[in-house]
Amino acid sequence: MSEYLHDANAVQGARPESLPAGTPPLLSLSGIAKYFPGVIANKDVSIDFYPGEIHALLGENGAGKSTLMNVVTGLYQADEGELILDGYGVTFDGPEAAIRAGIGMVHQHFKLVSRFTVAENLALGWSETRRWLSAAALAERAQAEAKRFGLDIRPDAPIDSLTSGEQQRVEILRVLSRGARLLILDEPTAVLSPLEVGELYAALRRFRDGGGAVILISHKLDEIMALADKVTVLRHGRVAGSHRVDKTDPATLVTEMIGRPVEQKTAYPRSAPRGRADVVLALEDVSFRDSAGRLRLHPLSLDVRAGEIFGIAGVTGNGQSELADILAGLSIPLSGKVHVAGTAMQGRGPGEFRKAGIGYVPEDRLHKALAPALGVTENAVMRVFRTHPVGGRMAYHAAAARDFTRSLLDQARVTVADPSTPMRGLSGGNQQRLVLARERMISHLALIASYPSRGLDIGAISLMREALAEIRDEGRAVVLVSEDLDELMALSDRIAVLCAGRLMTIVDRSGFDRATLGALMSGRDAGGGA
Amino acid sequence: MSRRTRLAVVPARRIMIGRALALCAVAVVLAIVLVLLGLPLGMVCGLVLKSTFGTVFGLENLALYMTPLLMTGAAVWLALRAGLWNIGAEGQFLAGATAAAAVGLFAPLPAPVALPVAMLASLVAGGAWSAVPAAGRAWLGVSEIITTLLLNFIATYLVYYLVTGPWADHVTDAQVSSQRMMLALPSVYSVVHWGGPVALALVVALGALLKRSRFGYELSLCGSNPDSARYAGIRVAPRLFTALVASGALAGLGGMMEVLGTVHRLQGGLAHGYGYLGIVVALLARQSAYALIPAAFLMAVILNTGIVLQTLQVSASSVLAITGLLVFAVAVSDELAAYVRLETKS
Repeated sequence: MSEYLHDANAVQGARPESLPAGTPPLLSLSGIAKYFPGVIANKDVSIDFYPGEIHALLGENGAGKSTLMNVVTGLYQADEGELILDGYGVTFDGPEAAIRAGIGMVHQHFKLVSRFTVAENLALGWSETRRWLSAAALAERAQAEAKRFGLDIRPDAPIDSLTSGEQQRVEILRVLSRGARLLILDEPTAVLSPLEVGELYAALRRFRDGGGAVILISHKLDEIMALADKVTVLRHGRVAGSHRVDKTDPATLVTEMIGRPVEQKTAYPRSAPRGRADVVLALEDVSFRDSAGRLRLHPLSLDVRAGEIFGIAGVTGNGQSELADILAGLSIPLSGKVHVAGTAMQGRGPGEFRKAGIGYVPEDRLHKALAPALGVTENAVMRVFRTHPVGGRMAYHAAAARDFTRSLLDQARVTVADPSTPMRGLSGGNQQRLVLARERMISHLALIASYPSRGLDIGAISLMREALAEIRDEGRAVVLVSEDLDELMALSDRIAVLCAGRLMTIVDRSGFDRATLGALMSGRDAGGGA
Repeated sequence: MSRRTRLAVVPARRIMIGRALALCAVAVVLAIVLVLLGLPLGMVCGLVLKSTFGTVFGLENLALYMTPLLMTGAAVWLALRAGLWNIGAEGQFLAGATAAAAVGLFAPLPAPVALPVAMLASLVAGGAWSAVPAAGRAWLGVSEIITTLLLNFIATYLVYYLVTGPWADHVTDAQVSSQRMMLALPSVYSVVHWGGPVALALVVALGALLKRSRFGYELSLCGSNPDSARYAGIRVAPRLFTALVASGALAGLGGMMEVLGTVHRLQGGLAHGYGYLGIVVALLARQSAYALIPAAFLMAVILNTGIVLQTLQVSASSVLAITGLLVFAVAVSDELAAYVRLETKS
């Protein structure tokens, strides 16, 4: 019971000062527990969500945030405890019941029909959509709803022509137009440009000020500090603490989240002075057109040197993935030349790049760098199956492959009971660790890492960053593609900024500056610089 | 209330149990139909069991059915390893049979020479029959399902043309058939020829080869995720081409075994649906080549059961109905096996 007296928990029931006394929480979770075979996903979770409040949920992967939200949205039933809506106990026997009660969720991966227009997508969720539809009526209705919630949309535009920020707006509007009073957002800023993030914040604040409640699931501390009113930290499926945001600080939250203080370093100094700085990767006027014929990269030249971390900054979808694919030999440029250690790589495939010592952690690891249906062993040897001891003449030595897999799993700090289980049975974080360890092993010259921190929790991220710095110190090169400016600025020696497929500039470490880089990412010139 | 969740990884034991139940369900449905037809169930069961397993004739029949099923099953299975659907085993089977028959009919060679020649001819013919769809799929992305299927009809009518036209039997005036060939596969016992043991050995060799060769690893990577295969430095198109051509060659060899071992004439209707039943066999076998053997055995039992049922005036289509029911039940059970009940109380 002493825990109950802890001031963190005492805050939990606190009503926002703006609300009149006696106002019940919009939704109250009381002692929620949820069990899966062999796993306690949630236990003793009690949280109050008040109207007019943005409430952030913070926690590592596997801390039980998703399960808890699945309980709230009716996908799962709680095994213990109760949900109290407007002061009355409720049970949701399915997602529809939760939506009727005014609880709506915006998922990280939008649930929109990409070939339909915005208006058509909005009509899908509408209970009063008529039997006979006219496009004009749908568009009119969409426009009216958009106006009501102050979200700007183009009703006639097909979803697949929209940016992810615009798609998210449609998704939010759809949830709101179905009468949601409690809006749940899962990692909403992961896919947005800085400008769009601002718009999202404004929209959420407007909704809150109108008396709505928001649950914000996020990994990003700065986002929580900027936007949320209250924050609840989950760890191992339990509430580790609950605070008013203005009465706490990021360090406390991180400590609560992972159980010990972790300092996210802002610099990774070299352990030894930098040695020879030969160019290991060079691009010469390289451009790229995708299969749909759109020019994704305008001609650009850059070189990556041994013993440096070369950062590539940009909002997701501005050509970074295409650039990384070209550097790894996976895509063939439309024009220009790629040199690896001085050798022109024209007409050579990913196999030759790998042989030259280029490792690659692509953005979509599961579908590009792994075969989800095959076993862990088959995936572990994917880059070494030609060489001794796994390969040899025409053979594939299954026993040697298993041994190799075991040592790789050790290095990656992943425990798998049976290496013949299919890859898709592993958690996203473990898949990521395995790919990183595998690619690190083969990257004698350079490692190209796209969004390596995605899917990892804070503890694993700091290990991953240490690993990249080690690779650098060993005199190899690292190309780091990331959307996280803090990460790029902490690790990189130089940062190239991409916007709309153009190389805006390459900045040296001495010239790093958040504002300048941010402006370049959204296409504005640094203002007379460089 | 009980809720279920879908397993990402289904244990083999759950699949086995599910399939056993599926098999039972098929048997129950079959029993109901037989009762509705007014047949005494006990008598039919006894007859099926006795004539399949209790007589020399029945066992011989099983062996003769199993041989082509093993070959077409292996053909479809090999293509599936590469993620390809070879629906054209029927046509490749006929192409191989035709090539073997050409050697048997027109090449005046002693058997020890003629048999290897016929074997080679059937492999080449079967492979050639799948080469165009294979190239289309590998380099142009043309769906192999359509192209291999359409070539079946061409093969079927080509055989009809040959056996009613230039190769027709003018000695005994048998209809839609070539002359009886003197060239034949040596016999193991009575009418059971060496094709069966060879097919068994081939299936075992195929399984071992794919498990232990680099090609086998590359093929499973290409079949499982072509993008990651490219990433691993494998050139995917040549692998797909090779796999589908080899698949065709296996089916072609099956055709040679059938025409020189069992039928001894090139006939219309020679393929007997073995190409399509091969798909069923491959589906039942899933990932394991060795499982082709029990799968082919089960199909052979069903074919034999069909013959027994025909003697009881049940339509010949019963075989197709049972097969369809089996595929349906197995597909459903494999899917259901992935679902487990969530524990709701600890």
